[in-house]
Amino acid sequence: MADQPLHLRPDADLETALRGLGQSIAWPAAAGGTDGAPDLAAIVRARLESEQRAAGLPVYAEPPARIERPARTRPILLWRPARRALIAAVIVLLALAALAGASVLGLPGLRIILGPAPVTVNPPPSLEPSRSPASGAPGSVMKLGVAVPLSDLDARAGFPVIWPSDPAIGPPDAAYIDPTLSGQVALVWRSRSDLPDTLEPGIGLILTEFRGAVDDGFFSKALGTGTTAQPVLVHGQHAFWLTGDPHFLFYTGPDGFIDDGRRWIGDALLWARGPITYRLETALGRASALRMAESMP
Amino acid sequence: MRRYQDVAMRTAYLVAPESDAADAVQDAFLKAYAALPRFRDGAPFRPWLLRIVANEARNRRRSADRRAGLALRAAALEPRVAVAASPESAILADEIRGQLLAAVGRLRDAEREVIGARFFLELSEAETAEALEIPAGTVKSRTSRALVRLRTALAEIDGGSSDG
Repeated sequence: MADQPLHLRPDADLETALRGLGQSIAWPAAAGGTDGAPDLAAIVRARLESEQRAAGLPVYAEPPARIERPARTRPILLWRPARRALIAAVIVLLALAALAGASVLGLPGLRIILGPAPVTVNPPPSLEPSRSPASGAPGSVMKLGVAVPLSDLDARAGFPVIWPSDPAIGPPDAAYIDPTLSGQVALVWRSRSDLPDTLEPGIGLILTEFRGAVDDGFFSKALGTGTTAQPVLVHGQHAFWLTGDPHFLFYTGPDGFIDDGRRWIGDALLWARGPITYRLETALGRASALRMAESMP
Repeated sequence: MRRYQDVAMRTAYLVAPESDAADAVQDAFLKAYAALPRFRDGAPFRPWLLRIVANEARNRRRSADRRAGLALRAAALEPRVAVAASPESAILADEIRGQLLAAVGRLRDAEREVIGARFFLELSEAETAEALEIPAGTVKSRTSRALVRLRTALAEIDGGSSDG
């Protein structure tokens, strides 16, 4: 009975009235804009930034930007055995994505965060325009880790390290393993006529291989709004072609971020097979990158 | 996009209307970030986050001047002039809305929290239990007790207005 006083009406009416009341309360505003309220996300990120800067971790310093949400892919991680570190890391990223107003795409062992790019306090050395190509082994100044002979790679990496089978490309000119990044492997080819420079002067191709899905670390990419992530297929599996502005790789484990911000990354193809995630950096474009990836055994 | 931000602000406001909700939420988000490694596998994220927010707001409530807080709360809970009333809010006459709001404002903290979580934030019983750190059974019993108290308060207002 609508005419009856509320206190005489059934519980359901009182509950409905309370729900309606919730919509007419002058709630404090969280987001910036309309009524001059502080932009909470920006403030929190700024505080995180200053704390992380103090701890020497990568920071979020760009103002939040709205971006178009790309098509969401199936969260492949869900059917993998849940591991505490992995789940914690996913949550870190989701929370950060929420803070940054970003959206997230998934690959096994890899999350791509679309949103404001994290920036390092100082520009990565590889962005300095004055730097000349390395005189030693290719990639030796890129801080990719310890140089390892190709013959020792599999044993040192703990998984079979592979590269494109195209004889025109040939084996890498140098290989590195970074023990500080869970044994991330980097294969480097010098630039030449059929392998033009990547973002790294003198380097024509960089193939990174790392354990993403079974490692305690959880790898992720943060892309600025000028970078696009195009869903593609490699060996029939979900993959991403990242193109546009240079981007940045970091990963996070149970203890927080681990910075792989030694350098910015240009166009790259990201895919995974089993527990290993691959990243191929090339200036040759998407079709060539896909061909190279498909040619890997 | 900032999907947790608004609900976090509302939670902080419900728990401690007299405090600065944005301040509480900021601190809560930073604490949540630091506490993420301890987040339980497979647990829902939102109530976990809201629990940290509620605790942060409660700390502020405890440190605030209680009497000043209650006075401010009544003022702060003034309903916003309806701009685009939803069907649900339309069924409530402005007068009743004001009375109901005042009655909610006069509830005990714990009851206001549970009423706010269940009906204003529309959290499930399980989410409310997690966010307020109370057993699910307590959510039920506290909700019904608060509803009875609201009825009583409204009846008193109704009786008072008839008399006057």
